[in-house]
Amino acid sequence: MMELLPQALTDGILLGGIYITIAIAFSLTYGVMHVIDFAVGEWIMFGAFTGYYLNKWTGLDPFLFLPVIFVLYFGVGYVIQPVIHRVLSGTKGNPFLMGLVFTFGLAIMFRGLALTAFGFYSNSIPSAFSEGSFNLEPLGLTVTIPTVRLVGLGYALAITLILHYLLKKTNFGLGVRALAQHKDAAGLMGVNSKRTGSYVYGIYVGISAMTGVLLGCILSIGAQMGNEYTIFAFFVVVLAGMGYLAGVPWAALLLGLVQSIFMIYFNPSHTLLAVFAILYIILLISPRGLFGKGV
Amino acid sequence: MKNRGATVLAILVAALLILPLVVHDTFVLRVLTEGVMWIGLAIAFDVIAGYTGYLNFGHGAFFGIGAYTIGILMMQANLPFWAALPLGGVAAAVVALIAGIPTLRLKGAYFAIATWALSRAIQQLALNVEFTGGPDGMRLDAFLNPQFFYYLMLITVGGTFAILWYLLERAPFGLKLKAIREDEEGAKALGLNPTKLKMQSFILSALPTGILGGIYAYWITFIDPSSTLGDLVSDQAVVMVVFGGMGTLFGPALGAILIFAFKTLFWAYLSDFQLLYLIILGALIAISVIFIPNGLWGTMFKRKADAARPQHQTEPASEPAALSAVAAPEEGN
Repeated sequence: MMELLPQALTDGILLGGIYITIAIAFSLTYGVMHVIDFAVGEWIMFGAFTGYYLNKWTGLDPFLFLPVIFVLYFGVGYVIQPVIHRVLSGTKGNPFLMGLVFTFGLAIMFRGLALTAFGFYSNSIPSAFSEGSFNLEPLGLTVTIPTVRLVGLGYALAITLILHYLLKKTNFGLGVRALAQHKDAAGLMGVNSKRTGSYVYGIYVGISAMTGVLLGCILSIGAQMGNEYTIFAFFVVVLAGMGYLAGVPWAALLLGLVQSIFMIYFNPSHTLLAVFAILYIILLISPRGLFGKGV
Repeated sequence: MKNRGATVLAILVAALLILPLVVHDTFVLRVLTEGVMWIGLAIAFDVIAGYTGYLNFGHGAFFGIGAYTIGILMMQANLPFWAALPLGGVAAAVVALIAGIPTLRLKGAYFAIATWALSRAIQQLALNVEFTGGPDGMRLDAFLNPQFFYYLMLITVGGTFAILWYLLERAPFGLKLKAIREDEEGAKALGLNPTKLKMQSFILSALPTGILGGIYAYWITFIDPSSTLGDLVSDQAVVMVVFGGMGTLFGPALGAILIFAFKTLFWAYLSDFQLLYLIILGALIAISVIFIPNGLWGTMFKRKADAARPQHQTEPASEPAALSAVAAPEEGN
């Protein structure tokens, strides 16, 4: 069994890399809106199916559609966010509770729509990269690296770097960080919370949808896949510390490792239980994340 | 006003008590029994969600835990129903305690998604272990007496309602929970212990839910992970409470009656479109949040609710109730 360990670690790191993108986008949205989006898994699922059907109709490689899917879902997010904003800035009832309930309702609705449109079957998206793989032999151990996963990691790194640039080097990013720190003060400094929120939500939905296509190429797609990824996104964000972006990559890699180790050594259907057990322990011991820097 | 409310309630209770003597149709009785059960599930959900302000998106897990506890105790430990039933509630309460310790210290967002993840994890567990029967579910010994189950459900839900009414609307406990919901830091400053109170509220919510799950298991005689632990139970509880009106007991009860009536009709006439039901549930949550954030009950009795609870923390406390009732319509849009 030990000879499988390098393979498990490699798979885990390659998969975890992809989760970074979802979790960073998810964390950003939380930072700006202060509400968790329960529909995160559903956005991933919608993106995956969009990629699947575009590939089926045109026969082109799903990777070519990533920009199209991003633009499409950016638009969707941009249009939906004002509704969430309206709920959150309402004076009736408890806006925060209402925001959570609202995204929960959206998630249920999206799941119903997806099941109606796509059925209960699971599929995978064929890509030119799907077949290929190559072997590495470090220290006499053979490790197989599927090309599609490597491409996925490259994509994740690119997205992470772009987001990093956007957040740290642009005025827009300054506004986003200000909103995350203090919404009212940021507003007084001239940050338009409504428009910035729409952009961030659009970016988050777009990235989630794109990542869905990648996950569809690497693993599989199905109308019920959203649940699992919502839990994964939450897992990463809690482990990193809510709102602490620098912790996200480590937490995402850990999730990838847990998943690949369970896939190889244990029963894959116990992955969710392991994820929940780790989550529970972290919340019990260090609720502000692995690094103690969350809010 | 209050007397009229009491009269209506008395007539309603009397009608519910006499009904099985008049109606002999098993199907109608079955629908009524389940309707009463949903009232119980909705008001129990509202204890933690509406009164305390912590959303438990895994309410169905506690229902399923109750159902499975009764099933396992009756079928594998050969316990009689009456001995097993309270243990179903205790099991749900213990799980609430375990889940609440790490999550109730934190902000509501953690709790909402952690309870939801918990319900998914428990469903996975029930699918994967031996003693629950896995995906095939579990069959209980049948006790076919519709009247018995109707009255048992009615007494349990009625008792739960009465206890919750006393604790939440008459005793200081309800005010303490509301204080946490409105301003947790402020509640702490007043000398309350929010973590402990939230824990009590969560257990108070889980206990009756587990007992109702137990009665359900014995009544339906068959339980499996998708019917009792699936997300539909949680989703329906959320719809009923949000649509009916959070933070009250009558609101969720009203929501439960309306949504359950809708579900029954939908299942009777449109059973080929079960997925449409899911879409409607989700859409109803979103629409309720946007248009009637106080729910049906809160909207119908708006003036009274506004007078009882100022909308803004910055409002001077001395402002007469009548003034805020007059000012209320301006806040509409």
